Amino acid sequence: MKLWQKIFLSSLFLIIAAVNIISVTLLNNSHRLLLEREQTHAIYEHEFYEASFSNAVVYAKLANEKIALTPNDIRHIATDVVEGSGRMRDSAVFDSSGTVIAVNGMQELLSKLTQSGFIENIDQSKDNYYVSVYNTSNGYKMAVGSAITTEGMSYSVVTAMDISEIYAMKKKQTDFVRKVSVISAGAISFVLLITVLLMLSPLSRLNVYTKTIADGNYRIRIREHGSQEFRELAKNMNVMADSIQTNATRLEKIAEDRQTFIANLSHEMKTPLTSILGFADILRIKKHVDDNERIEYAGVIVEETKRLRSLSGKLMGIVAMNGTEIEKRPVSLQSMISETKTALVPLLAKNDVRLECMSQDITISADEELFKSLLYNIIENAVKASPKGETVELNAAMYEGDAVIAITDHGIGMTPEVVKKAFEPFFMADKSRSRKAGGAGLGLALCQKIANLHSAKVEIDSHPNEGTTVFITIPGEECL
Amino acid sequence: MINILIIEDDENIAKMITAALSMVDYNGTCRYDGRSGAEEALKGGYDLILLDIMLPEMNGFEVMEAIKGCGTPVIFLTAMQEVSDKVKGLRLGAEDYIVKPFEALELLARIDVVLRRSNKTQDTITYGDITVNIDRHEITLKGQHVQLTPKEFDVIVYFLQHQNIAVSREQLLSSVWGFEFGGESRSVDIHVQQVRRKLGLKDYLITIPKLGYRLESRDNR
Repeated sequence: MKLWQKIFLSSLFLIIAAVNIISVTLLNNSHRLLLEREQTHAIYEHEFYEASFSNAVVYAKLANEKIALTPNDIRHIATDVVEGSGRMRDSAVFDSSGTVIAVNGMQELLSKLTQSGFIENIDQSKDNYYVSVYNTSNGYKMAVGSAITTEGMSYSVVTAMDISEIYAMKKKQTDFVRKVSVISAGAISFVLLITVLLMLSPLSRLNVYTKTIADGNYRIRIREHGSQEFRELAKNMNVMADSIQTNATRLEKIAEDRQTFIANLSHEMKTPLTSILGFADILRIKKHVDDNERIEYAGVIVEETKRLRSLSGKLMGIVAMNGTEIEKRPVSLQSMISETKTALVPLLAKNDVRLECMSQDITISADEELFKSLLYNIIENAVKASPKGETVELNAAMYEGDAVIAITDHGIGMTPEVVKKAFEPFFMADKSRSRKAGGAGLGLALCQKIANLHSAKVEIDSHPNEGTTVFITIPGEECL
Repeated sequence: MINILIIEDDENIAKMITAALSMVDYNGTCRYDGRSGAEEALKGGYDLILLDIMLPEMNGFEVMEAIKGCGTPVIFLTAMQEVSDKVKGLRLGAEDYIVKPFEALELLARIDVVLRRSNKTQDTITYGDITVNIDRHEITLKGQHVQLTPKEFDVIVYFLQHQNIAVSREQLLSSVWGFEFGGESRSVDIHVQQVRRKLGLKDYLITIPKLGYRLESRDNR
């Protein structure tokens, strides 16, 4: 069952029950009050009747000048009194044995009185009036009974009063209440339904919204209005959608990067493989291969195989660095720079480029081998970008609490677009030149990884045809 | 002489393709970026263009659009394996595509198919005293008509088109019987023996152990 149905039905049930209980109680109460009033009235009249009976006895005594009256006399008197009241009143007189000695009206009631033991009850409550209501075919009758003792005999006097009107009124009122409650239940349920639906409408809005999010539309946001609870809920859901969107975008970016990486890797592997397979196949199937051809073909195979080797080496470097903890030790920047310089001597000689290093005595916490390879890669790039006879400068100094290494060349430089892509794996500013030099476009990507492991930053400041400066910034916390 | 334009940015691959083409006496011309490749193609005079997709300046698809008018058949060379790229290339009007890396003979076989389709191959091949008319499906030895089955005919034509090249049984199977043919290399041997016998090629169509067969050229290149 849906929430709105539950709320609606339970509220409706409670309201109708409450209204009915209240109206029934009120009805019963007013009926009871009426009955009490009628009872007072009936007792009052009964007293009057009783008195007239006693008077009649006294009068009969005086008139007949008798000191005592016989039960027979009493019966006559009773009959006179009973019949004297005429149509006005149903009444009866019983002697002590419960036998009727005089009766007027009564009819059906008489048998009911005897059956219900009304007379016996009168005897038990001598000083009081005994009142009871009977439903006869002539309507409701209120019977009042009392005991009278005269001439040594005890008699029971019963008068009855018609109170059908009260019951009729009760019935009328009950019918009316029933009708009103049916109509009002309809009206209430209508109003209630609208109220419940209105109050719960933000819920269905939220429902639609969550469905939209679940369907993958993370950009949509819900309006925060309505009652406080819904406002809060909407707000929290928007917060949730925000974080989902952020995460989804991040994951998409990662997946996309990975996809690009793999596509690029596959391309970078297939290119040398194509030359290798092609030339190897030619060498295999061609009958006459002269010396020049052999040298050329096999030369390409060797060159391309070296390229694959360098690619796989760099790849292994990147893969190995993913998720590995590095071992940092205090190392002198100066000594690392001078060692890197030594390693670079053949390259410097080949390109006819000089490397000038200026370094303060700084000790940093780093993985020595990785950090040297970071320096090596960046200086190598600088050397390759420099024309013959130029100088590459390396300066290392403390700057604003951080250790900064700046590597400057006066070479070909890069455009801002190239700088932006420089760290992407497999990006090569000049593909054919870079390939000829055995590059795979992974050098700076590798540098970035090493720098990240040292919480260091690598930034490039470059201008085409002027040169490039690469800044490696090692935060103060890593310096000792 | 068949002239083929190679548009490929990797110099070594271009060199390799040129070398492979020279084995069957095709002349290869190389261009290393899309723009100059398209310009060269539009000059005309080429029987076929081998076009790489990832090219500087203009990519292969753009080059394809640019040279649509000149009517030269194009074979794409691609390192990408996505079907969508292949479909895109073929939609643009390419005759075929070859996925890198590829074997030299596979490249030549694909080129032959395209050239045959555009009637660029020689109609008659002369080999010593054997003359083959490919169009008419006729072969004569010392002026005498020789009766060959269609498959035997295809086999000798394939060897004549690939003289001095070692051809494996698999390559013969895929070129003559079709790429999807799942037959045994036994039938290749039987056909080669028949051709040898009928055309008296015992000393020229030689078996190379572990590799296949080779038809030696008569001019001793």
